[in-house]
Amino acid sequence: MPKIIHYRNKCIGCNICFELQPEIWRMSKKDGKATLIKSLAKKDVFISTINESILYQSQEVAKACPAKIIKII
Amino acid sequence: MIKNKIELLAPAGSFGCLQAAINSGADAIYFGVEQLNMRTKSVAPFLISDIKQVAAVCKAHKIKSYITLNTVMYDHDIRLLQNILSEVKKNAIDAVIAADFAVIQYCRQLDIPLHVSTQANVSNIEAVEFFSSFADAVVLARELTLKQVSQITKEIERKKIKGVSGELMKVEIFVHGALCMAISGKCYLSLHTQNASANRGACTQNCRRPYKVTDTETNEELHIDNEYIMSPKDLCTIGVLDEVVNSGACILKIEGRSKGADYVSVVTKCYREAIDAIGEGSYSDEKIQHWKKELTAVYNRGFWEGYYLGHKLGEWTRNPGSSATEKKIYIGKGSKYYPKIKVAEFTIESGNIRKGDTLMLIGTEHGMKKEQIENLMVNGVEADKAVKGDKITFACDTKVSAKDKLYKIVQNPNA
Repeated sequence: MPKIIHYRNKCIGCNICFELQPEIWRMSKKDGKATLIKSLAKKDVFISTINESILYQSQEVAKACPAKIIKII
Repeated sequence: MIKNKIELLAPAGSFGCLQAAINSGADAIYFGVEQLNMRTKSVAPFLISDIKQVAAVCKAHKIKSYITLNTVMYDHDIRLLQNILSEVKKNAIDAVIAADFAVIQYCRQLDIPLHVSTQANVSNIEAVEFFSSFADAVVLARELTLKQVSQITKEIERKKIKGVSGELMKVEIFVHGALCMAISGKCYLSLHTQNASANRGACTQNCRRPYKVTDTETNEELHIDNEYIMSPKDLCTIGVLDEVVNSGACILKIEGRSKGADYVSVVTKCYREAIDAIGEGSYSDEKIQHWKKELTAVYNRGFWEGYYLGHKLGEWTRNPGSSATEKKIYIGKGSKYYPKIKVAEFTIESGNIRKGDTLMLIGTEHGMKKEQIENLMVNGVEADKAVKGDKITFACDTKVSAKDKLYKIVQNPNA
C-alpha cells in the first residue's frame, strides 16, 4: 500500500493540500500548518498509509505543495 | 548636520545575523517567526519560543527589535497570529511590521506599536494619514522617488500627523538590498509556475533566471540584449545617502533576512559609518568609493540607486547569482574552546587552508569575524597548510561551539 510522508515542521500553511484533497488533509487552527489525518508521527514526520484509489490525487497534492514536504512512496 | 535622529534597521534571519547586526552598529533589527513572514522558505525561521531570547539580546545591547508579520493571512493562521502577538506583547518587542488588516486590528486591540509594511504600498500623504490611527511608522513603497518621500515627510510635519504614540508619524525606507520586479513585492510569478506564493514567503525567484523569447509559429528565437529581463539589480544608496537622509525618512532599512551574517555585518557597518560621516560632516567621494568596494565584496546582483533618483526600472542584472567579488567556502566547524588561554579549535571537514588565507568565522555568539591567518597551528604544531581531518587552533575572544562555522574567503570567479 502506498504511503504519504509529511515533513510537517516545514509547512508554510498555504492551504493547497486541503484545497485539493480535503478527505485526508486539514488546516490546523492551532498552529496554521497542514495536518495529515489519521497519520502516525515519528518526531516531526507524519506517515499515513493510503488506498490505491487516492494515489493519483495524492501525487498531484505532493506536486502542488510549494514547500515540497509531501512525499509519496 | 542631520535634522532627525536616524535609525539604522538591519535584518536578522538568525541569531548569528542578529549578533552581526549588533556588532556592526545597527540601532534596530527586524526578524520573522514561524511561517507568517516573507522569508519562510528561504531560511530556517525563528520560532515563537525564540521571541524571548531575541528580545533579551536586543535589550541587553540597547537596540530596538521589530517583528515582521507581513504575509497574506488566512483564517487558519489567526490562532498562530494571536499566539505570536501574545509573546510579542509579553516580551515587549518594540513594534510589529504588517500590512494585513487582521494584524493591524489585533495590534490596536493589544496596544502593540505597529509599523505599516511596504507591502501596503503607501505612496501618498493621505495613506499615511489613514494609517496614523493604527501605527507609529510607515515603510514607504520602494517605487517612490526621494522627492516624493521628501514631500510626504514635509506634509507629516506641516499637518502634524501623529501616530498612536502621540509622536509625529515616522517614515521608514529601504536603503540597501534586493528589489522585486513587482510593485511593493506583490508578485505572483512563482505562484503561477510552482504554486509557491511569494506573499506566503515562498518566492522561488523565477525573475532571477535568464529567459528567451521564441516565436511559437516559426520557432524563431528573438534576440534579447540581456536574458535577465526580469531581474533588477540590487538597491544601493550609499552614494546618495546624504540625499536619503535629507528626505526626512528617519528609519533606514537594509533588506536581507535570508542573507548570511557576513552580509549583515558588512552592509550594516558600511551604512553605520556613512550615517555617522554625514552627521559629522565628513561624508566624501573617497569614503563612498571605499564603502562601495566593501559592499561589492558580499552578495549582490550589481547595484543601482533604485527608483529614488527617478530612474525607470531598466537596471537589470547580468548574472544568475551574486556578483560579489568575494565568496566564502565552507571549511569546518568548532570542536573545542580553551577558555583560560582563549584559543579556539576547529576541525577541517572540507577543502584546505594555507598560512596567509583569510578566514571567516560565523556563529551565534560571534556574528561574523574575519581574519587573515598569520600563524597556522595544525594538530598542535606550526604548519603551512591544513587539510581535511586536521584540527587547527587560533586565538579567539569568544567561546566556540560545534554550531560555529569556519569559512575561507576567496575571490569570486563569476564577479
